[in-house]
Amino acid sequence: MNELAIKDLLYKLADDQLILGHRNSEWTGFGPILEEDIAFSSMAQDKIGHSLAFYTLLQDLGETDPDTVAFTRNANQFHNSQLVELPNGEYDFSLIRHFLYDNAEIIRFEMLSQSSYEPIAKVTTKLKGEVKYHVLHANTWIKNLGSSTEEAILRLQSSLTEAIPYALGMFETSKFEQELIESGVYAGEEAVKAEWLERIQAVIEKTDLKLPDLNTTEPKFGGRNGEHTEHLQPLLDEMAEVFKIDPTAEW
Amino acid sequence: MYGGGNVFEATKFDNLQTEDPAKLAEFEARIARGEKIEPKDWMPELYRKQLIRMIEQHAHSEIIGALPEGTWITRAPGFRRKMAQMAKVQDEVGHAQLLYSAAETLGKTREQMLTDLINGKSKYSNVFNYPAFTWADSNIISWLIDAGAIVNQMANAKGSYGPYSRALERICAEEAFHLKYGHDAVVHMATGSSKQREMIQAALNRWWPPIMTFFGPSDKMSTHTETLMRWKVKMASNDECRQQFLDMYVPKIWELGLTVPDPKLKKNMETGQWEYTEPDWDEFKRVINGDGPCNAERLAVRRTAEERGAWVRRALLNPKAKYVKPLA
Amino acid sequence: MSLKSLDPRVTRLNLPEGEAPAIEPKQELDQFETYEAFHQKKDGAAHTYVGPVHAPNEDVAFLFAKEQYSRRFTCVGLWIVRTEHIQVTPYVGDQENVYDMMRVEEPTERSEEVEAYEIFHLKKRGKAHAHVGRVMATSYQEALQEARKQFGEKGPIVNVWVMKSKHVLQSAEEDKDMWTTIPEKKYREAIAYKVMDKITKYKEEHKTTAS
Repeated sequence: MNELAIKDLLYKLADDQLILGHRNSEWTGFGPILEEDIAFSSMAQDKIGHSLAFYTLLQDLGETDPDTVAFTRNANQFHNSQLVELPNGEYDFSLIRHFLYDNAEIIRFEMLSQSSYEPIAKVTTKLKGEVKYHVLHANTWIKNLGSSTEEAILRLQSSLTEAIPYALGMFETSKFEQELIESGVYAGEEAVKAEWLERIQAVIEKTDLKLPDLNTTEPKFGGRNGEHTEHLQPLLDEMAEVFKIDPTAEW
Repeated sequence: MYGGGNVFEATKFDNLQTEDPAKLAEFEARIARGEKIEPKDWMPELYRKQLIRMIEQHAHSEIIGALPEGTWITRAPGFRRKMAQMAKVQDEVGHAQLLYSAAETLGKTREQMLTDLINGKSKYSNVFNYPAFTWADSNIISWLIDAGAIVNQMANAKGSYGPYSRALERICAEEAFHLKYGHDAVVHMATGSSKQREMIQAALNRWWPPIMTFFGPSDKMSTHTETLMRWKVKMASNDECRQQFLDMYVPKIWELGLTVPDPKLKKNMETGQWEYTEPDWDEFKRVINGDGPCNAERLAVRRTAEERGAWVRRALLNPKAKYVKPLA
Repeated sequence: MSLKSLDPRVTRLNLPEGEAPAIEPKQELDQFETYEAFHQKKDGAAHTYVGPVHAPNEDVAFLFAKEQYSRRFTCVGLWIVRTEHIQVTPYVGDQENVYDMMRVEEPTERSEEVEAYEIFHLKKRGKAHAHVGRVMATSYQEALQEARKQFGEKGPIVNVWVMKSKHVLQSAEEDKDMWTTIPEKKYREAIAYKVMDKITKYKEEHKTTAS
């Protein structure tokens, strides 16, 4: 099996979760109600934990250790989709991103738990249950808020419209796509996207929200190849601020 | 996390003459037997008022206490620290949730408590009005402030009010993680590079004075205080807590070769008591009354969080819902 | 000027500098109504009371309770009940049995058919209510009498909670996997932090240089 292809897959999985976990952690202490603050923090912790699990698989393939990989690379070395690096904005944007992202994530995990590459299959099988809660959380909120007050619907709709091009960017294919599909490692971005669309539509139909026309939406690609918005580098700098005081030290 | 520093002032409810003597006797007998009081029981107004005040202040301290350490969530170095820091701050928010619920069983709603917090009407632990300048400050808070909180909370967990005890039991279990995590981080810094050592000593120097005020000034004993002790509302004196804290943690600081910035600090082997420079209680009073380095920011952040979340709460508010106090 | 904080997250909030003006008192229900949560530690164990959450409905209450009350230690299930839907008996002393001491009132409402009710007992003040079983009845009062017959013999029982089964939101069997990884999240546990070796090593080194 092509190790480069597997590494490429692992990097995008890990980087997405590291960055989104980091973004979601920014809400701790600022949530709309105490209970939601707690729930959101748990999911942020899970995401960081998932990224660690994938960086550990990368280390097993000869990459450097997770802390160095996560805390010392520059933006152009990151493979996350641009969706996850955007600033949190208000809670409507964070919820919409969470909804769009986790509904894709669960499909990736379900597919990867059948992967022919056993280490990935093992990790995703184990962690699937956590993502299941993330999806339940996202869908419950979107169903509730998406059919509530005009104010809430407007907010969510505007965030949905803003986020959709970036969400499509999650499904940017890699040069190893065909290889991964043929070797049974991963079903590929097109398959994930098709399933994702059905699932998010099923939720959106239960609300007063409208999914923008995806045929006329230009996806924001580039993230998988290290092209990022201006928001990623400051985030990485902040993340590494203490670590970089002395990268050789044990913190 | 929470210190003492409760000022148990006499109130208009101090006069127990207005309470039904038979009910009061039954209430006191129950506590004397070591039974807990539960929300549906009859209780004297003084008991109810003091508990609401104490639990509410404790809850506010948790939610405000999430802020100085929250400062370092996005910058915590490495996976291990980052995840633990997130979990720790999350726990503090969780503790606030548990404590507000316990206070609600006594009849004050969470809405009223949050309003009073934001409007500066009710207090929270004074230490959280000080800033966490560096990662090392956050480590000192995790270790020593939580250590202080455990001393206080372990005592209060044995108090007479059921919902508060239940909440504290769980809180103490979680604080045990905070304490170990904080200690672990401090030990890494103290035994690490010279830069790390310098950072942790500087943070200890900054935090020592607030830590010494954490348990509040010496109690003035009065019939009021005696009543609250008999009712197992107040479980240990502020000085007892401070002595216990010094006994447990000063040796652990010293064994790391760190210096406690108080030349007078030593244990008097004859009395078994720690001697120390008397904390600056004037500053304590000034800060608790609003004039500390971070008071305005702490409340502004809380206020903003409430405001920015208001649309979410408005959207899901069910006007037909009926608020019922939590049961236990 | 907006407030510049040591916390980059706070700086990004663009708060105005200086004292914040007072807020209007929060409206009633701003924090929603309350729901009570019961967790099940392992298969076959009784569901036990863990505490309340504030939430706008039971689905959201479930999301909230899951993280507030079952993010640590093993858990295989969670029940959620709106506080309003729970009937509570008086509390008696730790040595007493509430079933022997209370007057059962005439039901104010009866259902035509019998319905299922869940019964929870408190064995000792300060502890948590635990599920003892289910009874069939046409009213809360009848359910309480049934509960006495079936579970009320072995005292002391300090307090009883009664609720209709249909009011209990129960987590599904297939959702158990949401809790499976919790025992592995060691970073949240005291046990994961062991520094004695580092301290001992430091003390050893320090001793050598000092002498």
